[in-house]
Amino acid sequence: MLVLALDTATELVSVAIGRDGAVLGAVQLAGGRRHAEQLAPAIEYLLRETGVHQDQLAAIAVGKGPGLFTGLRVGVTTAKVMAQALRIPVVAIPTLDLVAYPLRHTSRLIVAVLDARRKEVFHAGYHSVPGGVQRAWDYRVGTPAELVADLETHTGPILLAGDGVARFRDVFAELEHAETAGAEHSTPSVAALVELASARMEREEFEQPWDVHPLYLRQSDAEIEWDRRGL
Amino acid sequence: MTYTLATGSPEETRAFAQRLGALLQPGDVLVLAGEMGAGKTAFTKGVALALGIEEQVASPTFTIVREYAASIPLVHVDVYRLDHVQELHDLGLDDLLGEEAITVVEWGDKVSAALPGDRLDIRIEFGEGDDDRVFTIDCAGTSWVARRDAIAALASER
Repeated sequence: MLVLALDTATELVSVAIGRDGAVLGAVQLAGGRRHAEQLAPAIEYLLRETGVHQDQLAAIAVGKGPGLFTGLRVGVTTAKVMAQALRIPVVAIPTLDLVAYPLRHTSRLIVAVLDARRKEVFHAGYHSVPGGVQRAWDYRVGTPAELVADLETHTGPILLAGDGVARFRDVFAELEHAETAGAEHSTPSVAALVELASARMEREEFEQPWDVHPLYLRQSDAEIEWDRRGL
Repeated sequence: MTYTLATGSPEETRAFAQRLGALLQPGDVLVLAGEMGAGKTAFTKGVALALGIEEQVASPTFTIVREYAASIPLVHVDVYRLDHVQELHDLGLDDLLGEEAITVVEWGDKVSAALPGDRLDIRIEFGEGDDDRVFTIDCAGTSWVARRDAIAALASER
């Protein structure tokens, strides 16, 4: 069973093609804010080099955030459009899970932290469970200092991972009992996306393209009060 | 700390903004409050000059966001045409805030809850004469505390 996996919720464009949970090929580009320009050529290149025809794909897997707004939109939209055109389902996995999952063989509390810009981070905590990780709290956005204050109440050892940790190194350095995972764990793993998506496909846990929504943590239903406008 | 300063013409407003602009660092967010015609765009022009931006700066009322390339880029935002705070998130503004650029938000006081807490709040009010303006500058943001003295010096220059 072939899956096209993509995540653009960080500064990176990550694409992979997987067969039965294993990666056949992967591309990762650090282009800053060039997701829209880089994603489609990367997909095209991978399909060609792995010899996979798009009609053979069983599903599109996508990292659905939380993440940087512009990139996230490009990735989720691309996944939805491709899935709809190919008449295949989408498997949407939270991007923070793609940071935590490769670290599942630790007994420590895993905290995935991604840079959310405006001096904030997206984060979630995870415990290892047989075969994967289980979230200890809901996906959140907040300042690094708030996260550190929350983590200070946790007495056990902590493993930090994700690009938000290096970005706010000084703040996280204040945490005792915490260690930062190696640099290879600073970005969401597209191999994890292939693996998690394939497992979901086997359990038939997928969504129709039109049901897929990015995970936005910054939402507001407030109206702007324009008392003086129109005068 | 809050400082006030008065200017007597658009040129003086621009010159003041230019001096303030020289204090800016990448990631700074300036929130401009003031009625139509108060001089929010004149102020932003001065900031652009300080950053070495030679392009013509006009209020992005219809484009909402405009970016100017420079060694420290300028992101100029005008939320006047927005009705819901969510539109600000939908513009992807969060991706631009607090990074390498300096962001100036006209009418930013209307959406202050959606903007970073670490920012400089500048209110522009009409003075007695037609061209007189009074600036009220609030340096509550954490990264501004260290620059308070420099801003106080600017405010007392007149």
